[in-house]
Amino acid sequence: MQAAKSFVQAFLKQMLLGIQLSAVSHRSGSLQERKSAIKLSADVAMAVARGSKKWTRGLIASLSKEEQNRSFRQFVLGKDFGRPAKLCHSSWKIPRSKNIVRRSLRFLSKRKSNIRAPNSSVLAGTLVEKRTQVLKRLVPGGESMDGFSLLDETLDYVTCLQAQVDVMQKLMTTLEASKHRADSNAQCPKAKLHLLAMVGSCYSTRKGLWKRLSKRPKLTL
Amino acid sequence: MSSRRSRISEEEITELISKLQSLLPETRRRGASRASAAKVLKETCNYIKSLHREVDDLSDRLSELMATMDVDSAQAEIVRSLFRS
Repeated sequence: MQAAKSFVQAFLKQMLLGIQLSAVSHRSGSLQERKSAIKLSADVAMAVARGSKKWTRGLIASLSKEEQNRSFRQFVLGKDFGRPAKLCHSSWKIPRSKNIVRRSLRFLSKRKSNIRAPNSSVLAGTLVEKRTQVLKRLVPGGESMDGFSLLDETLDYVTCLQAQVDVMQKLMTTLEASKHRADSNAQCPKAKLHLLAMVGSCYSTRKGLWKRLSKRPKLTL
Repeated sequence: MSSRRSRISEEEITELISKLQSLLPETRRRGASRASAAKVLKETCNYIKSLHREVDDLSDRLSELMATMDVDSAQAEIVRSLFRS
């Protein structure tokens, strides 16, 4: 599932910030510390990239509560550190008109759901109730949601989780490729420089470039 | 009036369940017919758990990879991805 471009960009920006902070504070940290820092960066990145939803607020709130994240949070959350609930509204740049629409929709669905939930035959039954309880624990902020909101938020949350996995996989591939290039450069720097010089001199003449390259033995770029 | 409201809400809830079902990998592969709410909820919970595990695993691998890389070039690569995407 392809993530939206704006989500990918916001996610990567936030990941970069998280990695910079963790590199600064964990240069000599254990593998576990570094792994937790990356995971935290990824979760914050996902929440920030998505914007204001019930689950993103729930996620930021629960991440803020974890003691081990204290120093990291201080940098990421800045002056609003210590007030996670307020932060979630003020720091995300959602256009005002969208916010008003969103708030009123939320209000409407809240009113409807209070009448709805007990009458719904789709959500009736102990098995559904049991599974709803499990789902509430899995979706951040789920404990305080009613049936309809829970389903709606779950839909959004799953989509974002898929996007998070997708971006992280692509990042992994990109970094691996970059590392591979760096390693092979280190192995044959002279050949690499020579090749670059050739490419530079033949830049204007494509024909000339192909001619020259075809005469050379194959080199990994 | 209230019966009309609950009928609308039934449709909307069924709609949400069906949308949720379409996200699940099982459904995507086999193109299954409409499953019960209970089944969709169970599959959704399992799917969320597996996605959490995947993120965990990717975080592991990313942190290991970055430990073997020069941090500056890793960051430069991320910036490059930003320009590309």
